[in-house]
Amino acid sequence: MQEFQYFRPETLNQAKDFLDKYGKDVKILAGGTDLIIALRDKTIVCKYVMDIKAIKELQIISYSDSEGLSIGSAVCLNEIIYSNDIKNHYPILVESAKTLANSLLRNRATIVGNICNASPGGDMISPSIVLDARIEIVSKQKTRTMPLKDFILGVKRTALKENELVTKINFPKIVGKGKYLRKSRIKGHDLAQVSVAAFLTEAGGLKLSIGAAGPTPIIVEGFENYKKVDLQSNKQEIIKKVMNEVKPIGDQRASKEYRIAMIKYLLTQIFEELEKEA
Amino acid sequence: MKEKLHFHVNGDEIFTEVEPNKTLLWLLREELGLTGTKEGCGAGECGACTVILNGNPVNSCLVMALEVNEGDIETIEGEAKNGELSPLQKAFIKHNGLQCGFCTPGMIMSAKALLNKNPNPDREEIKEAMQGNLCRCTGYESIIASIEAAIKEGE
Repeated sequence: MQEFQYFRPETLNQAKDFLDKYGKDVKILAGGTDLIIALRDKTIVCKYVMDIKAIKELQIISYSDSEGLSIGSAVCLNEIIYSNDIKNHYPILVESAKTLANSLLRNRATIVGNICNASPGGDMISPSIVLDARIEIVSKQKTRTMPLKDFILGVKRTALKENELVTKINFPKIVGKGKYLRKSRIKGHDLAQVSVAAFLTEAGGLKLSIGAAGPTPIIVEGFENYKKVDLQSNKQEIIKKVMNEVKPIGDQRASKEYRIAMIKYLLTQIFEELEKEA
Repeated sequence: MKEKLHFHVNGDEIFTEVEPNKTLLWLLREELGLTGTKEGCGAGECGACTVILNGNPVNSCLVMALEVNEGDIETIEGEAKNGELSPLQKAFIKHNGLQCGFCTPGMIMSAKALLNKNPNPDREEIKEAMQGNLCRCTGYESIIASIEAAIKEGE
């Protein structure tokens, strides 16, 4: 394992100061389930690892009917799965978290880590996008928020600057039904070959995001203002638009042709699911 | 440069110093000589390195040693008490839940963590909890049977 120093700030201000001073040489450690492997394989090299798990504000899940849901960047996936607020109000997040790796890893892996790792197939990314999530980012100089859909820039690249830290992911109050489906080689611990996240609002608008079908999640727009009856009659048109926009490749997990076939299949399945209560 | 570390493992209090780039797995095996916890893949895929950290089962290959400061760790070495095997250990032996035994410490720690939180899981809950522990020998049925037997034994 490469050499580095370890810093564990106890407050957010300590973290901001450290990043301000050493930002370009720091990697942020939350769950570590991506970072530690990368450090071992030297695909990431750094001088300092900053462990954010002691910072109290980052450990919190909070929900209110008016503000929606906020998940701190140190909250692990099993905490999400077992949160009644999230189960009751944002069940697509529970559904997608359950597909990620296995329970052992979910005791460490975080939703914000999954997002900041920005893998094309990150299981928490597309579901968060269709929920209109926003990312809160802090530095010593300022706090800013941005839509998650603008945060992911490319494969393993985000809009996070060297001296910045993601503190939380916020989800507005949203009424409707969400669904996350993915195809993987095996039922157990595996990365997604391809995934589809959909959210059908109460009014009938549809949000869609496809994972592992391009360098970043493919957000297919144009259906946000649909009314309920449109989803049924426009299924083929929606599928056609999605297939025009996805750019899957072949790799060790699936061929390009298989991904294309599975995207169509998952879309059909998701429409059936969303229609059940529509 | 080594950093100070203070934690408990199997009820024993440890004061030590460790380099920042060492994992918990390394700390347990090389520093403390607790070689019951195994390195299988070193990447969080196989579960051979499973220990219980602050009540939760984790892959110790993906935890840095310094992260466990003031923490509480349970390893397979803490299972048997006063020379007597735990109900899980006895059940694994009785119901052939192991062959080569390499995955077994990890299997038992995952199972123990499950039963600590849910003393009466159904078969699907057992399979879900054990999903992160791979075995190349048994085909898993005897492992599930061992866990179910340990549950029955505890009733």
